[in-house]
Amino acid sequence: MRTLENSNPIATAVFFLCAAGIAMFSRDPVITGLSLIGAVLLWMIQGEGGHWFLAVFLLAGTLVNPLFNHKGSMVLFVLNNNPVTLEALLYGALSSAMVVATIYWFRSFSKIMTSDKLLYILGSTMPKLSLILSMALRYVPLFSRQAKTVSDAQKTLGLYREENWIDNIRGKIRVFSVMVTWTLENGIITADSMEARGYGAGRRSFFSIYRFTLRDVLFLTGSLLLTAISLLAMYGGDTPAVVSFYPALEVISVKNWPIKTWVSYISYGILVFLPAVAKVGEEIKWKYLQSKI
Amino acid sequence: MIVIRNEKLRRMMKIAFLFLIPAVIVIGALISEEKSYAPVSLAVTVLALGLFLCGFEQKKIGTRRLVTVAVMVALSVVGRFIPLFKPITALTIITAIYIGGEAGFLVGSLSAVISNFYFGQGPWTPFQMLAWGMIGLLAGLFAKQLKASRIVLVLYGVLSGAAFSVVMDIWTVLWYNEGLVWELYSAAIVAALPHTILYAVSNMIFLMLFAKPFGEKLERVKKKYGI
Repeated sequence: MRTLENSNPIATAVFFLCAAGIAMFSRDPVITGLSLIGAVLLWMIQGEGGHWFLAVFLLAGTLVNPLFNHKGSMVLFVLNNNPVTLEALLYGALSSAMVVATIYWFRSFSKIMTSDKLLYILGSTMPKLSLILSMALRYVPLFSRQAKTVSDAQKTLGLYREENWIDNIRGKIRVFSVMVTWTLENGIITADSMEARGYGAGRRSFFSIYRFTLRDVLFLTGSLLLTAISLLAMYGGDTPAVVSFYPALEVISVKNWPIKTWVSYISYGILVFLPAVAKVGEEIKWKYLQSKI
Repeated sequence: MIVIRNEKLRRMMKIAFLFLIPAVIVIGALISEEKSYAPVSLAVTVLALGLFLCGFEQKKIGTRRLVTVAVMVALSVVGRFIPLFKPITALTIITAIYIGGEAGFLVGSLSAVISNFYFGQGPWTPFQMLAWGMIGLLAGLFAKQLKASRIVLVLYGVLSGAAFSVVMDIWTVLWYNEGLVWELYSAAIVAALPHTILYAVSNMIFLMLFAKPFGEKLERVKKKYGI
């Protein structure tokens, strides 16, 4: 298996859909834990940090639920005539862990699924939309650069001083107004140029560097299969929840977990750790090849 | 690369989307009522977006119109970098009034996706897309009234800004808590209040400042090049 960023975008997108999809809507502590560990690991593999904000978020999310939700039977203490229960606290912890895990999944998704990969997926089914998207994406840096040019020109003309903030805002609005006229005209010129080169005359062809190899097929079917097994084991039939919160906390001890639960956890665990395993495998291979030189 | 070339297949996809929406709701209700609120609402949102975008694919649209939409999307994304005040809603409304509701929908929903490339994607992206898209679509429907009176326009901007926050918070609570708890929802709304007010005010300011000059520019381009 190749690493996630080198796989075919369709396979990568399906992986994220499966991993984050189960994590987002499951209220099982083990699944959420696996998902959180897997998502943080994937984020760290890419050499990224920024955990503080989410750690604070995790704590805040845990504390919010018991303050507003008074279900549950184990009362910890009473605040303003409202009982704060253990169940609500634990449920809040689970919910916010789930939210944080999802945010980590989407962070990695944004990092790995660059806009060209997204356009590769969209272009197949929605050519017009992907054209608009790719043009808009290209315009964003162009407009920012042009806005800077215009604002520099206006500054040298002495049209506004930066220390006066009303003047500053006025100047910014003037720049924006100039930009709007310029971009609209620019867009029309682009459109004319496109038409002159034959856009809309026939079918649009796409350039893409992504191919669908056997490894991508394996990765794709593997992710789908693991997800299906995990979901079926969890929701098909009457598999009892390992932890149920309301009305009172009930936990099934590890010894009494049904086989179905184990199957579900193990297949989701494999799914979640696939990218990390691929990355480590690649590192080992790289080190090995280097050592041979 | 896989391209769906067959026009008939594309049309079938659209019809399939139409039937999938109620199907998802029914399946969700059958499995478990409260627990399925969040996933079902997400699925329905994605399908509704798909339905609209499939419809857009089938239409014959001039290149100039297409590019103008791309330009407006890029402008509103660039504008989102202005600290505190976000012009996406204002630009969406203005586009919808002067170029049409469909263009407004596209500008609103695509600006949401693209600006989230910079500000963070998440399960909230489809909801933002649909919310901003609907703001544009509705503005397109009431284009005449909105064009006629500045007060109605600003009122629409403020209301849509407030509605955007209120609607987005519903899903946040549904997702966090499996089912809507009023205490949590009202807490979320109160917590988001400064944000909502800032949002509504920035819509108001942008619409007051931009609606007329922007409209004139769009009208001029429309007249000059015949979009």
